[in-house]
Amino acid sequence: MKSVRLWFKKDGLAVYISHLDMNRCMTRAVRRAEIPLWYTEGFNPHPYMTFLMPLPLGQEGRREPLDIRIEGEMSFEEIGERLNSVMPGGIEIVEVREPVCKSNEIAAAEYEITAEFLTTGEAEGFASGAQSIIDGGELNAEKRSKKGIKIVNLCEMVRSFDAKADGKCVFIRTVLAAGNTVNLNADLLIGSLLSEFAAQTEKTSIVRTRLLREDLSDFE
Amino acid sequence: MYPKEIEKFLLRVQKPGRYTGGELNSVVKDKDSVDIRYAFCFPDTYEIGMSHLGMKIIYSLVNAREDAWCERVFAPWIDMEQIMRENSIPLYALESGDAIRDFDLIGFTMQYELSYTNVLNMLDLAGLPVRSKDRTSLTPIVIAGGACVCNAEPMAEFFDITLPGDGEEVTNELIDLLKEHKKKGSTKQEFLEAAARIKGVYVPSLYEVEYNEDNTVKAVTPTCGAPEKVEKRNVADLDSMFSPSTFVVPFLEVVHDRTTVEIFRGCIRGCRFCQAGFINRPLRRKSPETVEAQCRSICESTGYDEISLCSLSTSDYKGLEKLITNMLPWTMEEKINIALPSLRADNFPKELMEKLNAVRRSGLTFAPEAGTQRLRDVINKNITEQEVLSTAAQAFAGGWTAVKLYFMIGLPTETEEDIKGIADLAQAVVDEFYKNPDKPKGKGVNVSVSLASLVPKPFTPFQWEPQDKPDTLIEKQNFLVSCVKTRKVSVSRHVPWTSFLEGVFARGDRRLADVIETAWRKGCTFDGWAECLKPEKWEESFAENGIDPYFYTARRREYDEILPWDHMDYGVTKKFLIKENQKAHAGETTACCREKCGGCGANRLNGGVCDEIGKTVV
Repeated sequence: MKSVRLWFKKDGLAVYISHLDMNRCMTRAVRRAEIPLWYTEGFNPHPYMTFLMPLPLGQEGRREPLDIRIEGEMSFEEIGERLNSVMPGGIEIVEVREPVCKSNEIAAAEYEITAEFLTTGEAEGFASGAQSIIDGGELNAEKRSKKGIKIVNLCEMVRSFDAKADGKCVFIRTVLAAGNTVNLNADLLIGSLLSEFAAQTEKTSIVRTRLLREDLSDFE
Repeated sequence: MYPKEIEKFLLRVQKPGRYTGGELNSVVKDKDSVDIRYAFCFPDTYEIGMSHLGMKIIYSLVNAREDAWCERVFAPWIDMEQIMRENSIPLYALESGDAIRDFDLIGFTMQYELSYTNVLNMLDLAGLPVRSKDRTSLTPIVIAGGACVCNAEPMAEFFDITLPGDGEEVTNELIDLLKEHKKKGSTKQEFLEAAARIKGVYVPSLYEVEYNEDNTVKAVTPTCGAPEKVEKRNVADLDSMFSPSTFVVPFLEVVHDRTTVEIFRGCIRGCRFCQAGFINRPLRRKSPETVEAQCRSICESTGYDEISLCSLSTSDYKGLEKLITNMLPWTMEEKINIALPSLRADNFPKELMEKLNAVRRSGLTFAPEAGTQRLRDVINKNITEQEVLSTAAQAFAGGWTAVKLYFMIGLPTETEEDIKGIADLAQAVVDEFYKNPDKPKGKGVNVSVSLASLVPKPFTPFQWEPQDKPDTLIEKQNFLVSCVKTRKVSVSRHVPWTSFLEGVFARGDRRLADVIETAWRKGCTFDGWAECLKPEKWEESFAENGIDPYFYTARRREYDEILPWDHMDYGVTKKFLIKENQKAHAGETTACCREKCGGCGANRLNGGVCDEIGKTVV
């Protein structure tokens, strides 16, 4: 039995696949690709498969990790090729390698967010307004957790934030807390900022570009 | 691929995956390279439609043709419908994102009477008039198939064509004909008259219906050379019949998400309430070799880890044991579970059950249908209490702790004793669990009773029977609940109003078209969903159109009454159905076809052959 970390890209139609559905989708892909999977033992044998950091519905992921376990020999290259030949549109394996970091080392994630407004004025107002709120260090919002709803200061979970307007669009590059203990969904941040200004976007796209460790080095 | 306008709304609706398309194995063609575009519509949600085998068959069959492209369409849920209406986004097909009003064929599968308003809603969302007569151009032609079209009369004003019986052959013939008429530039009427000459094609507009003063049907008269009796289409050989080699694999969790392969059509049992058991006769069997090859092909191309061997009564398949024994080596190797729905308690060997559970254990369900032997004889559900109990005991010995029991109320001749019998039988199953010396420690037993209500259906021996009114059904349900004395038995019940509406449409006539349209205009859609059903809107619609719904449900019909569906020929003779109805009232059973041919007459449609009994003189 050997652990393998798959890195995949999720975009296009695939952003509408929820995390739960992703699990089933990948299980089937791995079966179609005839990867020699290791199955759990017991009444309901199922392949070992762990998404290290669920990607929220609607967000794109550029390089997302998925751990599987295999039995027998198959090269990383072959695993990647076989999987890509049976993958539905929008999901692509970009790299296959041995896991380097432990899953609990994920501490942050980098995002690229594009928010499109109706007018240039709105875009400019939002970019500078959002930047000053984050720089000011206080943005309270209701956050749902397993323990219930509580008010939290989102800024405490923002590691860096840079918003720039370009025409009707605002481009944001940001690093947010991610992982099992503290996690900030980029949707919540953008939604809270928009409601501060009672603003509405025509379209918002969120791309998770990288997962990072505590020292902001790449999670591998 | 969805149309561009919809993108910004996708994250505002529940389950956007219902509306995106792009699933594995979905078929995308170049629209300019095909002659016929076919929108296959399922008048319910994506999750239900994607579980339906008929759609998978027709989808693959049409797409196997180079000159045609079949795409899928489902009823958008209420949240999405509102967005589509507010933003003038017409109903589109999932593969291309193109509006279906520009397609050549729009086909609905009618599996359930309570999806009728969804058909109207989908046509309207497409931007098409709902009535056949108001769609004047040659295309799109709106067609329908599926079990409900054995009595298409309530929907006769809306569909251009219905296809009673098996769809595999007639779909291709209809596409060929439409292609030819498109080329010729025919009118819709010319095409419909030509289509009516194909066996298994019903063109409702070519039939005139007259009524008696008491509202019963006086006469149904064909016009323009349409046949007097429309014979359902019958595919004789299931081995050479088209069958899909792959399925579209949904991203969303759908109801049945697995490899499904039919093993036979028809049924040897003859339960008198069961429409499927009569309208799919004669029995035609697929060979184990074909079944196995089809299972393998679908599993390989989808990655599914479950196979369902499907039929109306799977344990009646001759050679089931051999089939499973052949399949087990590769299914076990690939960790594929084999599910056998519709097993009978009386004829399923224990050893086979053990083998099947080697991979994954599934639930256990029995359908005694009635609580006493007397009533089971009336409905010809030839299963004894002893058989149920011994199979349950076997299952408990094998480690099961939960059993589901299906029953029906509102059956002809039913008394309080019969209803109490349901509780008694459930209790007897509980007792069986505690008799087992090796029962798992610390675990109780859970027997869940599912209580449906009889809806008498066309082409069954009960087609003349009155149906209990909702109030009576509620009383009977409450009585049953009062008879259950243990918490180990739980009862779940159907909504009686749902069965009532189902009953109106099942045995309805053409005068219901106005009621259906009125109700839909008042906002009725998804009537099969308890949270969407609006009884008061339906009551208003019946009243406004001067229709008494109980005329269709609560009345006992005479054997010599002309029934609205009498001009359909499903093979089984009326004489046979009358005899079965009489036997029901006399409490007499009819042997299953394997023991003795009952002479139902359906083999006439199949060149005199029934795969259960071989060739006989008709």
